[in-house]
Amino acid sequence: MTPGPTAEPARGAQRIVAVLAALASSLLLLFLAVPIGKLIGAGGLDGARQLFSDAELRQALGLTAVTATTATLLGVLGGTPLAWVLARREFRGRAVLAAVLDLPLLIPHPVAGIALLLLLGRESAVGGGLLAVGLRVVGTPLGIVAAMLFVAAPLFISGAREAFARVEPRFEAVARTLGDSPLRAFVRVTLPLSRRGLVASAVVMWARAVSEFGAIVILTYNPKVASVLSYDRFTSFGLREALPVAAVLAMLALIPLIALRTLRGADDGARS
Amino acid sequence: MIDCRALSARHGSFRLADVSFVVPAGEYGVVIGPAGSGKTTLLETIAGIVPVTSGTLWLHGRDATSLVPEARSIGLVYQHAFLFPHLSVAQNIAYGAASPEVAELVARRFGADALTGRPVRSLSGGERQLVALARAFARRPSTVLLDEPFSALDPRRRTVVRREVRALHREWGLTTLQVTHDFTEAGLLGDVAILLDDGRALQSGTPEEVFRRPASPYIAEFLGAENVLAGTTHILDERAPDWLEGDPAPIAHGYRAMEFASGPLTLYVVGDFPAGAGYAVIRAEEIVLSLVPPDGSARNRFRGVVTELATLGALTRVTVDITGVPLVASLTTRSAKELGLTVGATVTASFKAMAVHLC
Repeated sequence: MTPGPTAEPARGAQRIVAVLAALASSLLLLFLAVPIGKLIGAGGLDGARQLFSDAELRQALGLTAVTATTATLLGVLGGTPLAWVLARREFRGRAVLAAVLDLPLLIPHPVAGIALLLLLGRESAVGGGLLAVGLRVVGTPLGIVAAMLFVAAPLFISGAREAFARVEPRFEAVARTLGDSPLRAFVRVTLPLSRRGLVASAVVMWARAVSEFGAIVILTYNPKVASVLSYDRFTSFGLREALPVAAVLAMLALIPLIALRTLRGADDGARS
Repeated sequence: MIDCRALSARHGSFRLADVSFVVPAGEYGVVIGPAGSGKTTLLETIAGIVPVTSGTLWLHGRDATSLVPEARSIGLVYQHAFLFPHLSVAQNIAYGAASPEVAELVARRFGADALTGRPVRSLSGGERQLVALARAFARRPSTVLLDEPFSALDPRRRTVVRREVRALHREWGLTTLQVTHDFTEAGLLGDVAILLDDGRALQSGTPEEVFRRPASPYIAEFLGAENVLAGTTHILDERAPDWLEGDPAPIAHGYRAMEFASGPLTLYVVGDFPAGAGYAVIRAEEIVLSLVPPDGSARNRFRGVVTELATLGALTRVTVDITGVPLVASLTTRSAKELGLTVGATVTASFKAMAVHLC
C-alpha cells in the first residue's frame, strides 16, 4: 500500500519533534554537567593540594564523613523496620505515615533546621532534658548528625521500602512454613534479597547527608562541616578561596555515585 | 487431618467464605476449581500465611486457627516454586530440613540430587518444582500443601514425581492437600475432592462422588459433563416396577424411580431427587451408541442423527441430535470405526436410568 497524502507531512512533524526533544535534552544535560566540570577544572588541582596543606579543610571533611556516617547508621537502624512495615503491612493511616516521612524532603532545609532548633534547643523540653544528662545538641557534632538525619533519612526509608516491596512476600511465606519465625525469615530471606536496594538507599542517604547545608547551618555553624566551610570561605574571602573547597566536595560526590553505579551493575549482572 | 469449619479469610480484595471440608488423617485431598476461585488462598490460609477472619481450622486434632505458620508442621509448595535465589539448590533443600539425611533422601527420591551443584537461577521451571518438593518434604511435615506442583514437569517426569509424592504420602502417613486443574490427576491421587469456586467450597466428597454426582449444573459443566439438561422431575412410585423389574437393587438402596422431562425428551431416572425443576446430567461416556436398538437393560433409548464427529486420539466424541436436543457420547475411536459412524447416520443412543444424575 502506498502512503496517503498526509503521510509525508506527518513524518516531517515527527522529525521536528525529535530534533526539538534532542536539543532540549542536550541543553539540560550541558546545564547539569558543565558547572560541575568547570568547578572541578578550576579548583580541583588546588583543592587536591589543599587536602595536604589545609588542616581546617581536612578537619571539615573528617567531621562531614563521621557525622554523615553516624546519621546514616541511625537512619538505617530506625528506618529499616519502618520501611519493612510500610512495604509489607496494611494498616489504617499507612498513607498518612508515608506522607509524614516524605515531608522533610519537601520543606526548605533552613526551615527544617529551625524546626529542629525548636525541638532540640536548650529552651525546649527535649533539648533541656538532653542538656541535663550532658548532651548538648546545638552547636555540636550531635546537631550536625540530627540535621543530616532529619533531611536524609526519608530518602533511605523510601528506597528501602521499594527494596522490600520488590521481594515477593511468598519467599517469606515459604520460610515461615519451613520453621522460621518472622524475624528469622527476615534475616535469612528478606534481608539478603533486598540487600542491594538497602545498600543503595544507604549510599543515597549518606550522599545527601554529606551535601546538607541549610539545616546544619542553623543548628551547628561551628564546628564546620565541608559544606559550611565552603560557604564560610566564600562569604569571608570570596570565590577564589571557596573554589578549592567546593571542588573537593564536588569530587567527593563522585564516590557515592561510583558506588551506586557499581551496585546497579552488579544487580543487572545478577538479574541476567 | 485437615478440618476446615466455615473458614473465612481475606487476601487483598479476595475473600474465602465459609469453606468447610475434612481431609481425614493420612488421606490425599485434591482442590479443583476455575482460575481465581481461591485455591491458592485456601492453601495459604491453612498454612497460616493468610489470617483466618472467621471459622476454625483444625490440623491433626489441634485448633490451628491462630497458630503461626512455623508451628503448624506444614510443607508448602507453590506452583512457581519460590526457591530462594540467594541460596544454592542444596541450601534450599536443607533450609528447614529435619536432618541432612532426610534432605538427601527426598532430594534423591524427587531426582533433585542431580541439581544440587547448579545455581537456582539456571534451573528450568520443572527442575524448580522438583527442588521445591524436596525442600518441603525435607522438613518431614505432618501436612503437605501442594499448589499445582507438577504443572511445569514434562508428562513422563510428571508421572514419576506424582508416584513419588503419593508414595511418600503413604509411607510417612502424611495428610496432603493438592490444588490441580487436571481432573485425571484428581481422580488418580485424591481420596477427597473439594470443588472451589469464587472463594466457596461448592462440593466435597470422594472424586467419584463429585464427578458422578455433581451438586449443581455449574459443577457438572465445570467437571466436563457435556450433557446437562434442564427440566422437571416426576416421582413414579407405583408405576415404576414394570421397567425396574430386572433391576430391583437401586430401589432397595432407598432410591426412587422418576421421570425427567426435558423438552421433547423424557428420561427414566433412579435417584433420590425431589420432584420439581432441576437438571439432569449424563456423562458422555455413559451413553452407548448403536445402529439398531440394543437388547440390553438400558431404559433410556433415543433414535437420533449424528451431527458431529470429533476424534481426539483413542476417543471419539459423537454429537447426536435427538428431536432437537443434542446429546454427546464418548466412545473409543475403534468402536466408532467399527460402527461406521458418519455425519447424517441414524443411531440409537442408550443409557441406564442409574446413569442419569439429577441436581
